[in-house]
Amino acid sequence: MWNTAKARQQKPFKSIRRNSMKRMMYIISKNWVWIPTIILTIMFITPILWSLSASFKSMVEIYSARTLWDFLPKNPSLRAYGEVLAWKDFPVVFFNSTFLAISSTLVAVAASILAGYAFARYAFRWRHVLLLAILIPRILPRVSLIIPLYELMVSLGLMDSRLWLTITYSATAIPLASWVLAGFFAAIPNDLDEAATIEGASLWQILWYILIPVSWPGIVTALIMCIRESWNEFPFVLAFTTSVSARTLPYQLFLLRESVGVQDWSVVNAFTILSILPMLMVFVILQRYIVKGVTLGAIK
Amino acid sequence: MNPASKAYKRQKMLKAMYPYFLIAPALAFVMLILAYPVVSGFIGSLYTYDMFTLESEFAGLNNYLRLFTNPRFQNSLLRSVILAGGTIGLGLFLSLSFALCLNSIRIFKAFFRGVSLVPWLVSGIAAAVMFRFLFSGNGGLIYVLYESLGFQAVSWLGHSGRAMLVLILTNTWFLCPFAILVMFAGLQTIDPNYYDAAAIDGCYGLRTLWHVTVPLIKPMIGISLIWLSFASFSIFDIVLPTTGGGPGRATEVMAVAMYRVAFHALDYATGYAIMTVILVINIAMSFVYLKLFRV
Repeated sequence: MWNTAKARQQKPFKSIRRNSMKRMMYIISKNWVWIPTIILTIMFITPILWSLSASFKSMVEIYSARTLWDFLPKNPSLRAYGEVLAWKDFPVVFFNSTFLAISSTLVAVAASILAGYAFARYAFRWRHVLLLAILIPRILPRVSLIIPLYELMVSLGLMDSRLWLTITYSATAIPLASWVLAGFFAAIPNDLDEAATIEGASLWQILWYILIPVSWPGIVTALIMCIRESWNEFPFVLAFTTSVSARTLPYQLFLLRESVGVQDWSVVNAFTILSILPMLMVFVILQRYIVKGVTLGAIK
Repeated sequence: MNPASKAYKRQKMLKAMYPYFLIAPALAFVMLILAYPVVSGFIGSLYTYDMFTLESEFAGLNNYLRLFTNPRFQNSLLRSVILAGGTIGLGLFLSLSFALCLNSIRIFKAFFRGVSLVPWLVSGIAAAVMFRFLFSGNGGLIYVLYESLGFQAVSWLGHSGRAMLVLILTNTWFLCPFAILVMFAGLQTIDPNYYDAAAIDGCYGLRTLWHVTVPLIKPMIGISLIWLSFASFSIFDIVLPTTGGGPGRATEVMAVAMYRVAFHALDYATGYAIMTVILVINIAMSFVYLKLFRV
């Protein structure tokens, strides 16, 4: 950042090239930024790598680790993964997480497409008030909502159900999704809508055949942000579910850590890795949408 | 169609209602699930409940008075402030450093940016479990490092001060990616001419950072601060699996205290009052940041 375009073009002086010590200093002075970069990168990935390596180790091997060289498993085995996958409740919990991620994302994005379109295209009375009414709840920490929502759930008779989780997950995802989508829709020229209107297209046709295909990147961004939020959610599922029938992966991971007496860390770590793997895979495939979405969501 | 006809007028009315119809579903969700609980929670904090007769009685601000004189709540407020302060300080430093690095390197940019975002994809529970393992006495990395360097290994999660340190580290790791991304986006918008001008005036290194870079990305620093303090003041996912509020109540932050008071002790009135306190602190802090940084 401090090397401006000009400085970068400058070649090392001949005298520097001859003197290896000075040359070394020169290289370091131009590339020192790699030192903090590597250190920070190691700090960021160490927890995941340590957990990953432990998931391939046996329990004895984990407990007997004494030096850094014990980082690599000596006899890597898939025993822990086998145990997690063979456990009878795992498919239920995994299905619940997947179901909630998909259902709440579809509901939230559908509602947000409509709302985003209205905010991007129409001038109407109370527009600003309504926009704030949808956006401001984004700043509510979800943990602060659990007591009143718990009472609401009890009075609606939706205890321990995926339906209630879908509703609450959708609602918490809507503010951000509406904001991101309204931004994307506003960037699409109005001429497209007008041309379609002249051709006799209805509002639904405009949305379905024009706006949604054109703003596909924005919709993917909103989808990913909703999926990630739902997949990783914890306070709601902790407060609103009691049995395994509506439990999700994070909650099960939490219980796993609590319930085991002598901790079988290889199983706990295998479960952790399995629960974060789907998100990491989505990330690797769709990284640029995520970067765009997070930045858009932050900078108003 | 005749412009004066009734059917035309009705159609026009209907068209004018379109935006409201479009907003209705999103608004309904937000009002029912997000706005209603806040209002009902605040109203609930003004009443006291009798556990046996299920009768409620208006108590005004008595619940708050009781709350602020309650040593358990005072403790949790203090723990929250320590956790948030530590996270904000460390998180701001680390994320600004990482953002500056990302902005300076010329190769493998996408890879390193990807690495910086990984914690954002991990659930709070998974992050907490991984850090708990990292600091555990049974094969944790930190323990192994201590042993291999010849130090006497110490218990991290059993000691009140060190347990808080572990929480701060976990929380920072978990919350940093967003701050990094925001500051990185800010750094990329800076016109390189500013640095040329600063270099001509004889300004280099850290002084450029302080006098050129930081003022230019002030709004992004503000957003990062809001994010870090917001998320740390209401943190819940990280604390419960790492320390569970322990040892004793050394890491029982406000959100955990609220959860316990409401769902274990079934004292909803106090739970509502803590909820309101968390909300007020969050809103007040974001106002302060908005004023300071003119986001």
